[in-house]
Amino acid sequence: MADQIAKISEVEFGVELPAFDPDTSLDNVRRFGKYVGWGGGRFTDHEAARKEGFPGAIIPGVMSQGFLGAMIHRWAPSAQIKVIDTIFRAPVLVDQPHTITGVVTNIEEDLKQVEIDITITNEANETRVQGTATIELPA
Amino acid sequence: MDDDIQVMRDQFLNREFDEVKLEIDGIRFAEYAKACGELDQKFTDPTHEDFQAPPTFVATLVGRRNLPEDFPQLNGVGMDAGKAVEWLAPIRDNMTLTGKSHLHDIYTKTGRSGRMVFLVTRMELYSEDGTHVANADTRTVIRERPSG
Repeated sequence: MADQIAKISEVEFGVELPAFDPDTSLDNVRRFGKYVGWGGGRFTDHEAARKEGFPGAIIPGVMSQGFLGAMIHRWAPSAQIKVIDTIFRAPVLVDQPHTITGVVTNIEEDLKQVEIDITITNEANETRVQGTATIELPA
Repeated sequence: MDDDIQVMRDQFLNREFDEVKLEIDGIRFAEYAKACGELDQKFTDPTHEDFQAPPTFVATLVGRRNLPEDFPQLNGVGMDAGKAVEWLAPIRDNMTLTGKSHLHDIYTKTGRSGRMVFLVTRMELYSEDGTHVANADTRTVIRERPSG
């Protein structure tokens, strides 16, 4: 498994991307809330989130999607993400370790495009977010 | 296709219901990039010569409403089921984008707890010169309450 790739000829079908552990800390989510939005209690305050029926504060969906994009860029800095589709299956909890994994599912050399399946799982290995992305790479 | 869903599709799909102007703030998208774990300075450093928003940033841009004003009230609670982004051109600091929203798809899935209705709202984003720079889809699921 290569840590980084630069062009499409370096990509192999079925290869796993380097796993990425996103920063799910309360401090980081509060910073996200301050500058980007989604600063409400369910995202930035465990107690407020529990009052809404969650086990604790949750990561905004738009932030989870951003984690997926960052993971792709860490593996392929020269990639242009063309499409990324994310399904929120269950909450990603703040202050809980999560891991993002990805695998190459298709390579279209002529189009210089690669498809990737990406998953965010929690410590219990439960899927929280699933995504698919199409990226374009230099020849 | 259920009859009531087909009626909604016929009435609402691809009909623009919202248009907003969106001022793009480079500090906002740089902080977004850093919080999400981006390392490339073109996303995080406003002084970088190719400074631009990460492609997923457009999912944070919201219109005035998520559904048409006359859209029927469905019998259930709506939840955010997902986001999709299509990147077409770079989005940069100080751009003013126009976001035009329409319902892109309406479909159902039936599970053990009953029918779920999925509404896909698409915001098409255009730069000042009319270039189509991105599409941002929000997928809302409504778990219908049993009637009666």
